[in-house]
Amino acid sequence: MSTLLATDTPIPPAKPAARPELVLKSSEFRKGREASWRDLETLVDRVERRGARALSLDELQRLPILYRAALSSLSVARTIALDRNLLLYLENLALRAFLCVYGPRVDARAGIATFFARDLPAAVRAARWHLLIAALCIVVGTAAGFLLAVQDESWVSTLVPSGLAGGRGPSSTRADLYDKEIFAPWPGFAASFGLFANVLFSHNTAVGLLAFGLGLAAGVPSVMLMVYQGLTLGAFLALHYNRDLTVDFLGWLSIHGVTELTAIALFAAAGLVIAEKLLFPGRYSRIESLALHGRQAGYIAVGAVLMLFVAALLEGGCRQLVASTPGRFAIGLATGVFWFGYFTYAGRGRDDARP
Amino acid sequence: MTLAHERATEFLEGTRRQQRTIVTPEGVPVAVELADHGERLTAFAIDVFIWFLLTILIYLPLFFFALGGKNSALIGLSIVLFVGFVVRNLYFIHFELAWRGATPGKRFVGLRVIDRRGGPLLPSAIVARNLTREIEAFIPLGILLSWGGASPNWQHLFVAVWLLFFAALPFVNRDRMRGGDLIGGTMVIALPKRMLSGDLVERAAQYVFTAQQLGAYGAFELQVLEELLRRPKSLETPRLLAEVREKICHKIGWTAPVPPQDTEVFLREFYTAQRALLEREQLFGKPRADKYGGARPRE
Repeated sequence: MSTLLATDTPIPPAKPAARPELVLKSSEFRKGREASWRDLETLVDRVERRGARALSLDELQRLPILYRAALSSLSVARTIALDRNLLLYLENLALRAFLCVYGPRVDARAGIATFFARDLPAAVRAARWHLLIAALCIVVGTAAGFLLAVQDESWVSTLVPSGLAGGRGPSSTRADLYDKEIFAPWPGFAASFGLFANVLFSHNTAVGLLAFGLGLAAGVPSVMLMVYQGLTLGAFLALHYNRDLTVDFLGWLSIHGVTELTAIALFAAAGLVIAEKLLFPGRYSRIESLALHGRQAGYIAVGAVLMLFVAALLEGGCRQLVASTPGRFAIGLATGVFWFGYFTYAGRGRDDARP
Repeated sequence: MTLAHERATEFLEGTRRQQRTIVTPEGVPVAVELADHGERLTAFAIDVFIWFLLTILIYLPLFFFALGGKNSALIGLSIVLFVGFVVRNLYFIHFELAWRGATPGKRFVGLRVIDRRGGPLLPSAIVARNLTREIEAFIPLGILLSWGGASPNWQHLFVAVWLLFFAALPFVNRDRMRGGDLIGGTMVIALPKRMLSGDLVERAAQYVFTAQQLGAYGAFELQVLEELLRRPKSLETPRLLAEVREKICHKIGWTAPVPPQDTEVFLREFYTAQRALLEREQLFGKPRADKYGGARPRE
């Protein structure tokens, strides 16, 4: 500590050239503080190599003090010193120490707890209009898909990619759909897991992240993706409607679909938040506005990815195990109530406490 | 604002890194050096390689013990994709959190992620900038790889344009931000480690210069001389120093003889005296950027 608080010893004013003994202010300044810089440098080195846990309690307390001392040294050096090596060193040291002192908090448990208890629901509530637009797009798409396919079933094969259709199409009979799709037997653990992984990755996450990321393209692709999701859904609905399976199909769908569609709509809402901040930056520059609100959109996207995990678990695991339509509706309804309640009420009243 | 020491760096190294200034919460502006595109690509390639190895390591035992050979290729592939997705997202997010903005690849190359405005790097920013990685690189690359030998069509064009759009983003904005940096409010900087060398100041002077002689140069020349004196000694050094001494003597009108073995002492003393004068003038509000005498360097 003694080196920290050391002040300059009074220096006789340097005479210009005509004296054999030259005393430079910057040189004396450096002598007084070099030890504390070196001390900080060792601490920063250790944090960079092994993390903040490498420091003892005493060293942890010393780090921010030394950091602020180095910052003040830098400010002083900029005015009084012309030593290039010294200036570059101090600037670099201050930056490295800054990154150590203001690094992200690594307390993962507390971070995750705040994320679920406060950040995620608050972000979703803040984006409720965006969510509404995304949901409306899905509804419009569904209605259009249904109206098209209910009259002419060839639309089903046009609207639904073959990978997603899985053999279902205009040629499917009622019995086909009933036995092989809606009440197909549970295929066993490995195949269920495979299905889980497949629906999650060949389709849902890709669509969701697209809807999120392409918010950067002014949100037009996000909206289009939502309408397209609705079209597919509507076409399937029409296929089952024509075979008098509407209720069973909706039950089959609701068990995971409530979670899945909410998640997809959340991705699009996050994309629309980005698009809005890009198109209407308000008082800020576009890039600043994006940085301010991009994180909120990021929260929503992470929440939606986790919801897709839940949906895929329900789809791969539970759906074929619960082989009755009322049971499926019950689970679907329960998940719907849960998500609605969570996003509407969780973390309310604590919003003021945000830093 | 171009400071004299930055100008000296540009002069000595031929190029200068793009710099930005962040203001720390204490209110002190600190210059940061933007990472080059090549450095970032290298770091990304290293990370992708590690991710690839990790995915295979996790997948192989899963395949042999849990799944056996009785399942279709589709299920196997789905699980590869699943493991790959989980591993890469956890990998980037974990390391950028735990290593304060550096992944192993970034650390190897010497890069760091920082908050663009100088605030603390928030976990949400890290998550946002890494989730976007999926749509910037992994999804389009996955689509391209899964095509195999299929003949090109308009979909190929679409994915190619998509990849190009995100690949071009860092080239078309000032701070070299990719999509994830835009959303997370971050930027990637190069963070070299700089050493503090000894002070060049000579206390006991045997050569005495007049104020007029010292006024011949400014901060820029002073710092070039400093760099020359700090360079590791080589066979070239004596000749170079002698040349510089000749030039200085000519410029300031130094007529007294300087013995060749004293060249370095002479230069160090000239450096000390010059620095003393320039620093004092700077303190009194008359900074001199270079030998042309302006307060600000000539661009």
